[in-house]
Amino acid sequence: MRSFFTALFLLVATVAVADPTPYRLNPGESRVGFTWFFGADAVNGRMPVADADLILDFDRVSNSRVNVSLDLVNVQAGFPFASQALKAQNMLWAARFPTIDFESTRVTQNGSGARIEGNLTMRGVTRPVTLAASIFRKQGAPAGERDELAIRMTGAVSRAAFGAEGWPNEVGDEVQLDILALVERER
Amino acid sequence: MAAAKTTTQYGWVTRTLHWGIALMVFGALGVGTWLARSEPSLAKIPYYATHKSVGMTIFALILLRLAWHRISPTPPVVDHGGWQSALAKAVHRAFYLLLIAMPMSGWVASSATGIDTVIFKTFTLPRIAPVSERWAEIGFQIHGLIGWAIAGLIILHVAGALVRRDGTFARMARGTARSDTTS
Repeated sequence: MRSFFTALFLLVATVAVADPTPYRLNPGESRVGFTWFFGADAVNGRMPVADADLILDFDRVSNSRVNVSLDLVNVQAGFPFASQALKAQNMLWAARFPTIDFESTRVTQNGSGARIEGNLTMRGVTRPVTLAASIFRKQGAPAGERDELAIRMTGAVSRAAFGAEGWPNEVGDEVQLDILALVERER
Repeated sequence: MAAAKTTTQYGWVTRTLHWGIALMVFGALGVGTWLARSEPSLAKIPYYATHKSVGMTIFALILLRLAWHRISPTPPVVDHGGWQSALAKAVHRAFYLLLIAMPMSGWVASSATGIDTVIFKTFTLPRIAPVSERWAEIGFQIHGLIGWAIAGLIILHVAGALVRRDGTFARMARGTARSDTTS
């Protein structure tokens, strides 16, 4: 994946005028990464985005909304057996629940980034999850221009909280999330 | 060198199968015990695959051996009468039984995990048990217990072979014993 987003700047202004703007996700360039643990070993996986609905308001952050639907069926969990195990009934049960959905409930400014609270639905179970977000703009773009952005979101979930309890002796409970969304302002 | 037995000799087919299977059983038992007792890690994953491949090879060879003994029955084990002969026969029968039950139980447990059972990185074995954590748990427990039983049989078998000193070991190792007269 090209990483041309290197400039980090303080995006969120304090002007009270709201300006909620829809952004379109670039699914080919975006990646939803996750890390799980086999024994003491970290394994990295990726999941494609099926759908995304993003409203970003840099003037009034609380107006922002991040809704994403992930394609569990085409997950790559690090190696073939792992993907098969992840989609089995005792894990995420892809046959019955082919997507993983996140809907934000509250977005607040957090330093130079944002804090996205929302509900994550996996395996038919919905639980609150908080993601830390950093926003980057394309290197070389003029200041103030926000047409193309990269949003990095990180967080962690407990798989047992969602009923995905298989392989308790081999696979750790914590799953770390590392999402990089490349988005473009919709005109 | 005769393939089939003569009245007192073991042919090379039987002998090759015997020693080949023995070696593989040592390997599978060793690796299996190590895997069962150590912490899971990514580095160990290929060993699971190798263990299954060797296990299913033993399974195939035992069946082959049984088929071969229909075609060309082995000479009877020298019978001195008494409990030792009875024990020897029982151990041999138990080996056939357990060397079939062992890979079967492994196959059942592996099927029940829900993950494909792949041997030699190529062949995906059909599932012979429902995908169920209960079946997998019980399957692996049985697999472990049979493993212990096989280890016990090996001790009895080796001890018996060495103690009897009537040429039996030589016959399985080389085909003939010094005491044999060719017919």
